[in-house]
Amino acid sequence: MIISQFMTQEHRDCDTEFAAAEQAAAKGDWAETEEKFLIFSNDTLRHFKREEEELFPAFETQTGSSEGPTQVMRYEHEQVKGLIGKLAEAVESQDKDAYLSLCESMMILLQQHNMKEEQMLYSMCDRVLPPELKTDTLEKMQKVEL
Amino acid sequence: MFSQNGLSLDQAPPISVVFRFFLSGALFGILAGILILFFQTVIFDAHSMKAVILTHTLTLGVMLSFMFAALFQMLPVIAGVTLTSPIKKANLVQYPFVLGVTALLLAFNFSSPWLFTVASLLLGGSILFITIIMLSNLVKLPNQSSSSRGMLTALASLAIVVLLALYMTGTLSGLFEGSYYTQIKTAHYSFGLFGWIALLIISISFQVIEMFYVTPPYPKLVSKYLPLTLLTLLVITTITGLFNPNIWAVSNTLLALLLIGYALLTLKRLTQRKRPLTDATVWFWRLGLSSLILSMLTLVMTNFTELSWVKSSTYLFFASFALSIVFAMFYKIVPFLTWFHLNSQGYFTAPMMHEVIHPKTAMKHLYIHLATLVTFILSLFINLFIFLAGVLTILSFGWMAWQIIHAWRLYKHTQETGEKFEMNIA
Repeated sequence: MIISQFMTQEHRDCDTEFAAAEQAAAKGDWAETEEKFLIFSNDTLRHFKREEEELFPAFETQTGSSEGPTQVMRYEHEQVKGLIGKLAEAVESQDKDAYLSLCESMMILLQQHNMKEEQMLYSMCDRVLPPELKTDTLEKMQKVEL
Repeated sequence: MFSQNGLSLDQAPPISVVFRFFLSGALFGILAGILILFFQTVIFDAHSMKAVILTHTLTLGVMLSFMFAALFQMLPVIAGVTLTSPIKKANLVQYPFVLGVTALLLAFNFSSPWLFTVASLLLGGSILFITIIMLSNLVKLPNQSSSSRGMLTALASLAIVVLLALYMTGTLSGLFEGSYYTQIKTAHYSFGLFGWIALLIISISFQVIEMFYVTPPYPKLVSKYLPLTLLTLLVITTITGLFNPNIWAVSNTLLALLLIGYALLTLKRLTQRKRPLTDATVWFWRLGLSSLILSMLTLVMTNFTELSWVKSSTYLFFASFALSIVFAMFYKIVPFLTWFHLNSQGYFTAPMMHEVIHPKTAMKHLYIHLATLVTFILSLFINLFIFLAGVLTILSFGWMAWQIIHAWRLYKHTQETGEKFEMNIA
């Protein structure tokens, strides 16, 4: 369960950071919004990178399939990245209504995505990857930086 | 291995599948409001045929329509179940379903045996058809979550509700004698309210409370065992109740306590949410859960008192519970789906969620809904308020219908005029 635990915790941390940025925007404190939003977006993008560069390839090699769930997850990462870009624009133009509206879409999109990973993909990874490869992949993921 | 995991790009059903069930639910809601204007306070007498007609307009016409919308949309996300050819299935369900509800309401009104037969065929056929498909997909899941397990119990309850209903309509059609009619009737509405409606809301909440509001997850003990406990209790009571109907008083009290516990826990979860912004949907959840608590408290009170307003309050607050949660889900689902589908199709100009339905519009509906509830409570004591309650019911569902039409028009408009980015995702 080590992959599940580590990656799920990263999801939760990103949720907390996201909520902090949203709260700052609701207050109209744009300096704080920018600061918190940057933390959220950097951590989210690093999480995606960890998956795309280490976890997904390990899973694909092990199962011999690169067209299964990992492909869908990659596509959803692109959707999230698109929204991060739009949120950044809203921070730049200090458009509160747009920012909060995009937050709604982002939250549902992200949570749907996380749910699929946590309930299916991560548990599959924990099941199909041999123990040494799991530890190895986890260590490699922890080293990935943006 | 992966085909059943719902991890496919086309897993979300077309937006029309979800919208049309929401729309038919809203239209039945408007009908309910009109019926209230005609029936007035007779609806509070649970034994009157008018109360039965209104109850079925609300439970079948409104709630089941909404729940079909939610299930078509959420089965892929929550439970990883992808329904094949969703449009075809939605057609096969919706048309006979709408006709069946209409036939049943008319059958009640005219006590017509042949209409009961028609309603049985249409409703039994369409509901059992889709329930069995959904159940068989859910059973096959390799990894069961608390939500998917909960949905299994809810759908099993729905199948039982329909089978019990068929026993009764069979009796009313004159097909058989129906020696257990009274006992079956008690089991029918208990399974409907506690089994189907409450269990489905509970199992969906296990996911959406955490997902929409970013709260800590429910305790494993609750999410894993509560749905099954409720279902087991219902099954045991139904079987025992055939011989000893008094058992329902004990069982109802137990069910009420469990549901109050669930409502309190969910209210607590809402205070622990990481997204502290309070929008209309949070208030709809709070109102719904508080209504559930009041409904269950008055249910327990009926063991000790014969006061008619106590009994009526149980049903009134239960309806408020179910409808408030539906509205809470509606104001998240409709704007999200409109944005999500257009965005996934590559439209730059996809409207944001607040452009589809603005939070202030949802807040206005909350006030209308709250006013509806208050006027209903007042009408328990001052009959004249029932007219206002009827008008507000029409306004509430009319408001909802308008939001669906507005979202649909915005969706079509963006498709026709929007700039599109051709995505090559393969």
